[in-house]
Amino acid sequence: MALFQIAEPGEARTKEACATAAVGIDLGTTNSLVAVVRPDPETGAGKPRALPVDEGSTLLPSVVAYTGDKTPVVGRAARRLAAEAPRDTIVSVKRFMGKTSADPETRRLSPYRFAEGESGTVRFEVRGRAVTPVEVSAEILRALKVRAGEQLGMEVRQAVVTVPAYFDDAQRQATKEAGRLAGIDVLRLLNEPTAAALAYGLDKRSQGTFAVYDLGGGTFDISILKLVEGVFEVKAVGGDSALGGDDFDRALAESLLAGLQAERTPRLVREAIDSAKAAKEALTSRDSVEVSLGGRTRTLTRAQLEEVILPLIERTGPPSRRALKDAGIPGGKGLAGVILVGGSTRVPAVRAYVRELFGLPPLADIDPDEVVALGAAVQADLLTAEKPQHDVLLLDVAPLSLGLETMGGLVEKLIQRNTTIPTSATQEFTTFADAQTGMDIHVLQGERELVQDNRSLARFRLSGIPQLPAGLARVAVTFQVDADGILSVTAREQLTGVSQSITVKPSAGLTDEEIERMLLASIEHAEEDVQARLLIDARVEAQRILKAAEQQIESNGDLLAPEERQAIEAAMQALRDSAAGKDHRAVQDAIERLDHVSAEFAQRVMDRGIERALKGHSVAEFDKGEMSPHAQKAYSALGGDTIKMVSPSGKDD
Amino acid sequence: MPESPKACWSCGASRASTGALCPACGKVQPPPPPQDVPDKFAVLGVPRSYELDEGGLEETFRALSRKLHPDRFARATPRERRFSLEQTTLLNDAYRTLRDPVKRAEHLLALLGVKVAGEERGGGAAMPQEFLEQALEDREKLLEAKMEGGPEAVARLAEGVRGKRQEAMEEIARALRQARPTDAQLRRTAELLARLRYYSRYLDEVEGRAAEI
Repeated sequence: MALFQIAEPGEARTKEACATAAVGIDLGTTNSLVAVVRPDPETGAGKPRALPVDEGSTLLPSVVAYTGDKTPVVGRAARRLAAEAPRDTIVSVKRFMGKTSADPETRRLSPYRFAEGESGTVRFEVRGRAVTPVEVSAEILRALKVRAGEQLGMEVRQAVVTVPAYFDDAQRQATKEAGRLAGIDVLRLLNEPTAAALAYGLDKRSQGTFAVYDLGGGTFDISILKLVEGVFEVKAVGGDSALGGDDFDRALAESLLAGLQAERTPRLVREAIDSAKAAKEALTSRDSVEVSLGGRTRTLTRAQLEEVILPLIERTGPPSRRALKDAGIPGGKGLAGVILVGGSTRVPAVRAYVRELFGLPPLADIDPDEVVALGAAVQADLLTAEKPQHDVLLLDVAPLSLGLETMGGLVEKLIQRNTTIPTSATQEFTTFADAQTGMDIHVLQGERELVQDNRSLARFRLSGIPQLPAGLARVAVTFQVDADGILSVTAREQLTGVSQSITVKPSAGLTDEEIERMLLASIEHAEEDVQARLLIDARVEAQRILKAAEQQIESNGDLLAPEERQAIEAAMQALRDSAAGKDHRAVQDAIERLDHVSAEFAQRVMDRGIERALKGHSVAEFDKGEMSPHAQKAYSALGGDTIKMVSPSGKDD
Repeated sequence: MPESPKACWSCGASRASTGALCPACGKVQPPPPPQDVPDKFAVLGVPRSYELDEGGLEETFRALSRKLHPDRFARATPRERRFSLEQTTLLNDAYRTLRDPVKRAEHLLALLGVKVAGEERGGGAAMPQEFLEQALEDREKLLEAKMEGGPEAVARLAEGVRGKRQEAMEEIARALRQARPTDAQLRRTAELLARLRYYSRYLDEVEGRAAEI
């Protein structure tokens, strides 16, 4: 008999039910966050909260440093390493997701060394090996998973991960792959602005059409959503995937450097960008700030900053107006509110511009850095909980048009942007040569007319078309977009039924062999994951046992001789100490020791319980919970109903 | 696996082939077998008519989404998840068509077996020569106004086209409101719908310029 076997009814089940958690993850360009919805033990109502995952902060800088150890360093610690090893420390990896090494943007952005990938994927050379953006992102996700697990005392297995609404199919696929690599079951890719609206909509119980203006470090997104009776319908999205607060920093750095006659070394440029960033942040609350650069100090006013960044802020205007028009409210007439998301919306000039653009003062009650992760946590709860905390539904849209290459290098759009998903569309094509037996299917994403101006998602070939005169064979191509916004394409020849089908593996993505290789590499991490999991399990067990022991000492302490009590309390303290450490075996050992020293006490407690139960307790006493838990258990185990009848008002002490 | 459209796969109760949910046990059902022209009115369970309460349609769409959306089936069996995806796809497509008066009219004609010019290559009736000539002339005028006339001239032209669009819409509504439109009326409606496409493209071009400014 052990103390912790005298458990409250249902306690063991609670542990089982809570053993894993589904979280919301904002995988950001600059910072990443993880949040979770936990029901309040008292009220049962659940609110999302962000978890402190990096030196007490909820923001984990999206920085990964490869140090030569098996496990890379992630977060603030990695950022501190960036100065000494800039090429082995990957910053803002999100900008590279789903990009090929041929994308002009790729090289413009960074100090990194690149290796050529098997399928044109970007690869960073770090410490003599090549890593892909997917692998780097997976390190960030893995850090969030493990640290959130430690915070929650349970394993994190499932997550809703957010992506910018403007992410194309390749970037979405890459994000999903990163989750898989980190050992996370990605329940859903959720558009960031939609997540933000979800966090707001729940708080405000509001109805109407809202604009979400999301200006982050590297991207700008605008979304128009209609919220009616708990259904969020995304009406339109738009944005600029290469505009954000980092551009403010670069523009300001450029103007700071222009005032210096010094030679532009990489080091000076880096310093200028850092100074610009610090000055921009200081100027959100002050009118002027001293800036030191290259041995010179000057005063920078907010007005000067605004002059430099205003042309950039104004670039958010056209996509916003287009989204309002697509949503059927040109000019924003009848908009119920504008929600601000992203750190860059802290800049006063941005807020002033938003107010002018939409004719409304923007809402910013929820921390713009946390709001996306909070919304993602709500969606994770909706998708996994037996009884979700909120009865809401999200209806999202395809952010970009999807089409096929037709004769002459033109794009035939099958699915228009801002179509509610899931959706599908079918278009028939025919052969243009006699006896043509194959047809190349080239899948494209974007709004432009010419193939070359759009993003190429996939190419595949339908062969086995029967030999017929030109124009007689009929090939139906069907696009299906699922609730994650991910596309699959089927081509089917109507006469013979020959068909070919693929889930679009983006051209910029990874081959199956590459994914296989990365999964193998991730087994290196598997050992750590197992250790972390065992530790979490041991800690949960330790907490449960300590609580049970405390309860028993409180209600049955009189059964203990002073030296027995001392021994048990010492064993409890040893267990507390080991649970605070990192070694799951030490925790297990401490549990066994406590079990051992308390065995006799447990036996006495049980005996007393049975004795009391047999003497009989009143129904009222039982209902009021005046009996100790173990007595209640013994009471009902022995058929409490019968005993109650015998001695309805008995009371023995 | 053959799935009978007439009986629920789960409880075996008989049901209508267009019903997304079993009337007896409430389980999500496979979509109806593909047809040449699927009836999108049936998907939303509204009467097949041009006249329709758009607010009510939106409410019906929301109510059905709540029941059918894949998010509601995240914990269900793979089979139910597939049905949910297929049913929601049909629902979204039907709602997109019916909430737009022009697409709704086109769909009604399609259900009556009338094709609209330009809907797909090779299909539908050719447009009258005089209309095509007029269209060409309109375009030249717009180009001229953009180059020389400035925003006021462009706005004036747009106003004229909006008026024509309005007239066409009214005539379409009149024809489709009748219990039994004649073949001649249906052909005329199809031609008007083709004109509407042209007017919309024209206005997009004008507004595209507005967005550039």
